[in-house]
Amino acid sequence: MKHILLTALLLAVPCAHAGERVLTDNAGRTVTLPETPRRIVVTHDPLLGVPILDIGGRLVGSFGRTDAGTAQSAVDFIDSVLGPEAVPERPRGVGPAGQMDFEKLRALEPDLIIGSEYNAGIVAQLAQIAPTYLQNTGTGRVHGFGTQERLASVLGLEDAYAARLAAYRARVGETRAALPVPPEGKSYLVVIAHDELRLVGEMSGMIQALEDLGYTRAEVAGLGEGNGLGSNFAVPLSAEVFLRLDPDVLVLMNSYTGSDRDEASIRAKLGRIAPGWERFLRPAKEGRVIFADSAKVSTPSIASAEHGLVAVRDWAGR
Amino acid sequence: MTRRLDGARLLRVARLEMRRADLGVALALAALAAVLLGLGLTAGSTPVGLVDLLGGGLDEAQRYAVLELRLPRGLTGFLAGAAVAVSGAMLQSLTRNPIADPGLLGLAQGALLAILLGVVLLPALPTGWLPLIGSAGGLCVALFLARLTGRGRAGDALAILLLGLSVETVLSAITAIVLLYAPPDLSFAVSAWLAGSLAQAGWPAFGGLALWVLPALPLLFAAGPMLRLLDLGEDHAHALGLSLRGARLMVLVAVVVLTSAAVTVTGPLVFLGVMAPHVAAALLPSSGRARLVLSGLAGGAFVLAADALSRALGSEIGLPLGLCLTVLGVPLFIAILRLRAVRRPS
Repeated sequence: MKHILLTALLLAVPCAHAGERVLTDNAGRTVTLPETPRRIVVTHDPLLGVPILDIGGRLVGSFGRTDAGTAQSAVDFIDSVLGPEAVPERPRGVGPAGQMDFEKLRALEPDLIIGSEYNAGIVAQLAQIAPTYLQNTGTGRVHGFGTQERLASVLGLEDAYAARLAAYRARVGETRAALPVPPEGKSYLVVIAHDELRLVGEMSGMIQALEDLGYTRAEVAGLGEGNGLGSNFAVPLSAEVFLRLDPDVLVLMNSYTGSDRDEASIRAKLGRIAPGWERFLRPAKEGRVIFADSAKVSTPSIASAEHGLVAVRDWAGR
Repeated sequence: MTRRLDGARLLRVARLEMRRADLGVALALAALAAVLLGLGLTAGSTPVGLVDLLGGGLDEAQRYAVLELRLPRGLTGFLAGAAVAVSGAMLQSLTRNPIADPGLLGLAQGALLAILLGVVLLPALPTGWLPLIGSAGGLCVALFLARLTGRGRAGDALAILLLGLSVETVLSAITAIVLLYAPPDLSFAVSAWLAGSLAQAGWPAFGGLALWVLPALPLLFAAGPMLRLLDLGEDHAHALGLSLRGARLMVLVAVVVLTSAAVTVTGPLVFLGVMAPHVAAALLPSSGRARLVLSGLAGGAFVLAADALSRALGSEIGLPLGLCLTVLGVPLFIAILRLRAVRRPS
């Protein structure tokens, strides 16, 4: 009887054939995927694609790209985060903004599709084409390099991730040594200026870099992930609240949807949204503002965190 | 002795109350819809020729594109278009206003906002629940309008329209706020849906839509004669024994169910509810059930044409369905209005 029960139990558990693995994705779905996926398509370029490419993974397709592989948006995150030469063969597009083209997706013959929690509505259609793994990307569900670490495990790239992380940790140490004041016990905030100001949450390389250096997130009364409707990147911030912010280090950046992301452009945009900010904002008056390029530091990848470290070192060197 | 019945007589027996001319136009519109559906099956990023399609010589990729993607997308578009167009025709009769449509009265916006809140606040909610949530949102708006306008009779139609417009404005503002505070990825994901889209319309979406639209058919069937009386004016309809309150409630419930189901799948199909009944009326003036049938077929055909245009423009451009609908429909609508003005004696 015991043997029968054991056999029945073993039959009931999903089992992998040779060359396959069975995983449970972040949506709780059981996914059988190839041991070594070779034709991977992601449904989000900066949040899923860049973290994979950063650790040596290869993609055949990505949402938000044209048939030729160029970015459909103003910023190509592969170029800005990893460099124009880093990925010679760009992933091809699988449809225009917001509209997945399942025919194009199937034509790429993927052996693994990696989507985010926001693809739950089309996961049945995706899974018809190839095994589909849903990976959380939003604030409150993953933190720091959590997405990249998990993807490394899904794709069998744990060693590459560990090597990348070790190199990054060494740079964190170097950067910390270059800081004028030890960061322990000091606070930070990151603000991004789109048409309005937004306070950046937990999901970016910049945030990870600041926290790895030893800074802790400053509290802002009435704002945070628990407020509003939540956000996977940033929550709206009024100009008045912005002018009252006083963390030990304030990182400012312009939207990644435009090409005006240098310091002068950030200053000009803030001047339009919060006139007089340089006279009222204490971190600005006291030289505690770091200007960063959102197109480089916003993805949840080690590469973005390294760009964040560069921005911190540039500020420290002034 | 048994007598053979022709198509028109059969429909009359089935109490669709269609004249021979109505039946002729309905068949012509159905044929047009079938042609557009067929053309839609050949449009997309996987090349599929009409000859391959008709000859059945499709390879695996083509079969997948045609049977799993394009056919359910076309059928869903047709059904959603028909639902919105019928809703528009019903509201125009109810309010005796030629520009009434579910969007203008806030019913579509109520459904849309409820669905959006459902998606944002309850991300783990199964998609099968969304039509129910949308219907609840639309029904709230409908009950609010009915409550505010249900007491008197004179001027009620205009009151419904003006109040609906106010409610629509408020709900649009709330929708914009929800989108502002929603996670950017979610806002991005729903932006295509808000512009009207059939990109995610597979067999499950078609099944879900049909599940909601088909039960509304008895309501439409019952509402037909009421609409014919309402076309005479509320006073005449009342004098002829029509319960205005009951008629309003029935029409609003049917409109809410149809609109919510369509909005859930395709997003708002802007202007279709105004346009399709006028195009149907331009082809053949009709009333009651015949008007609903003709408007529904015209609405379905419009969406099929707009979807074919959207895909013919190439999937890299990705012109949303709602925009294609406007591009196709508005010039035709203006032409019809000008034609009517020319025909009308000065």
